[in-house]
This record gives sequence, C-alpha cells and structure tokens, in this order.
Amino acid sequence: MSTWLTILGMACVTYVTRATMLLVLRNEMAPWLRRWLDYVPVAVFAALILPQLLLRKQGDTQMLVLGPAIPAGIVAALVSWRTNNILLTILAGLLVFWGLRWLGM
Amino acid sequence: MTTGELQPTEQVAPATRWKDFRAGFIAIMPIWLGSIPFGAIYAVSALNAGLTPAQTLAMSLLVFGGAAQFTAVGLFAAGATPLTIIITTLIINMRHMLLAASIAPYIQRSAAWLKGVQAFFLTDESYAVALRRFLEGGGSPAYQLGVNISLYLTWQWSTVAGILLGSIIPDPAAYGLELIFPLTFIGLIVPLLRKRTNVLVAALSGALAIIGALTIPGSWYILIAGIVASGVGAWITRSPAMKREA
Repeated sequence: MSTWLTILGMACVTYVTRATMLLVLRNEMAPWLRRWLDYVPVAVFAALILPQLLLRKQGDTQMLVLGPAIPAGIVAALVSWRTNNILLTILAGLLVFWGLRWLGM
Repeated sequence: MTTGELQPTEQVAPATRWKDFRAGFIAIMPIWLGSIPFGAIYAVSALNAGLTPAQTLAMSLLVFGGAAQFTAVGLFAAGATPLTIIITTLIINMRHMLLAASIAPYIQRSAAWLKGVQAFFLTDESYAVALRRFLEGGGSPAYQLGVNISLYLTWQWSTVAGILLGSIIPDPAAYGLELIFPLTFIGLIVPLLRKRTNVLVAALSGALAIIGALTIPGSWYILIAGIVASGVGAWITRSPAMKREA
C-alpha cells in the first residue's frame, strides 16, 4: 500500500514541477524574463551533460574521472555541429567510447 | 532567439494538426534509441527492488521520468521512507519548472486544459525537440503533442518489455549505454551553440554544474547552474550593443 502511495506522491510532485510554469505564465512576459528564459535550454542541458561525461558516482560522492566518455562527447559534439543529426551524434559518440574502451582507456 | 509564430489552435484545420502531430511523433524517433533500453532496464531493476509488475508500470505511466524513476527504484531497494522518495523525486524534477517556463511563451494561446495535458508529458528530451521546432518557426501545439505521445508510448512499451523479458535483458551499463543520455543531449544542444552568448552560457552552466555536483549533495546543482547561467546570459545581453552581436 505504501508503495502505491509513494508512486502517487511521486506522480503528484512531478506533475506540479511540469505544470506550474505552463499554467502560471499566461500573459505577456517582461522582456528581461523572456530573455532569461531564452537561455534556459542551453544552461539546463549543459548542466545535464557535463557532469555525466566527467563525473562518476563512488558511493554517495561524485568523483572527477577522465575517461573515454570525454573524447566520445567531443566527437559527438563535432558530429552534431556538422550534421545536425541526433542519431549520427549518438552513434558517433558510442563508437568512440567503445573503441577507446576496447583499446583499454 | 526569434519567437515562433504563435498559432491559436482553434484556427488550425484538423488536417494541419494531424500533419504536425505526425511530424512531431516522427521527429523524436531517434531519441527512442535511448529510451528503449532504459525503459526495459528500469522495469527489471524495479522488479528486483520488490515492486510488483503493476507498480512498475504505474510508475512509468504516472511519473514518466527516467532519472526520477531510476533513483526511486534505488531508494525503494534501500528501504527508504516514502517521504524521502517523494522529496528526492521533487528535487530531481525541479528543473522541469525551468524548462516549462521557457516553452510557455510558445503555447500561451493554447487552452488551459491542453497546457495541462502537455505538462504531463514534459521531459528533457520532448521539451528540447518541441522547443527546437518552435525556435525554427514551425512549431505548434499539435507538433509538441506528437513529440510527447511518441516518447510516452515508447517509455511504456519498453517498460512492459522489461517486465515481460525480465532478467534476460543485459545491463545497459555494461555496454556504456548510459552514455546515450549525454550524447542525446549533445545532439539537442549543439545546434543552439551557433549563437555566441549561448556558448558562454553553456560553458558557465557546465562549470557550475561540475562544481555543484562535487560539492552539493543531491541533484540541486542542475537547477542552480541552470538558473544562474541563464541569468548571466540575460544580464550580459541586456545592453543594446551586446544584443546585436548575440
């Protein structure tokens, strides 16, 4: 029972994070706020990407690890820049990652 | 960045709506690649953590957020209290507030019920694909809904596949497949980096996120880096001279 309630609670808080801003921001926004929000996608995605490439979780703490994920990310970024193709970007990154791991990096 | 045409849904012909919906549904297909193995492996780890198949599927249906679901499963397995799991979910998903705020201007004219529906499906990936289309000027609520439903269905049937196939599914981590997430995000963000201030904001946010992840417990760092770096971007471009360059 408590598992079901937990899942329900997770669903509620998640929905609140998704819906609040969509429903609240309905009128024309102040220009400064609009400009701020224009930078949100790059800011949030950079904050999602870099720790995943550079950090590894060791127990409860994060550690800086220089591994094959970094060159993989760089190659993926170059491929994305040139092709603008998500599928190619992912595949190129994975190939570099697997290649470097196979080489023992 | 330019504002896409804001189209009131009421005036759009159903045929156009259907075309947009289909275009959105198809546009996010490359991202299925990342969702399918992780939807399945989520299900396997949820069952291992003691959730029933119904609970495992219910979480995918109701929460629909990979990071939150994986973390919750880990917490369930560790015997965490419901409150801990719910609060952790809230913190992980807090970044949705930023994403929702940033896409809100493009669907301002949608009816409240439609916004409520779109909100239910908001994820990093679906947001990025829909926003990209809005920025190009071709976005519409129907397109966004197509993106949303496409990713949602994929997440559900891969969860079901995980429940049915169980432990014969290999651990994606063994193949480094968790790298698919940052790689997908790279594919989504790099096209935005043609604007110089965006590069600066991305670099700043990435640096803040690394420092934050190393020093602040939990996943607050995403929200903090996101707010601060985008704020700095807005502040830098406040003067007319910089605005022209950006």
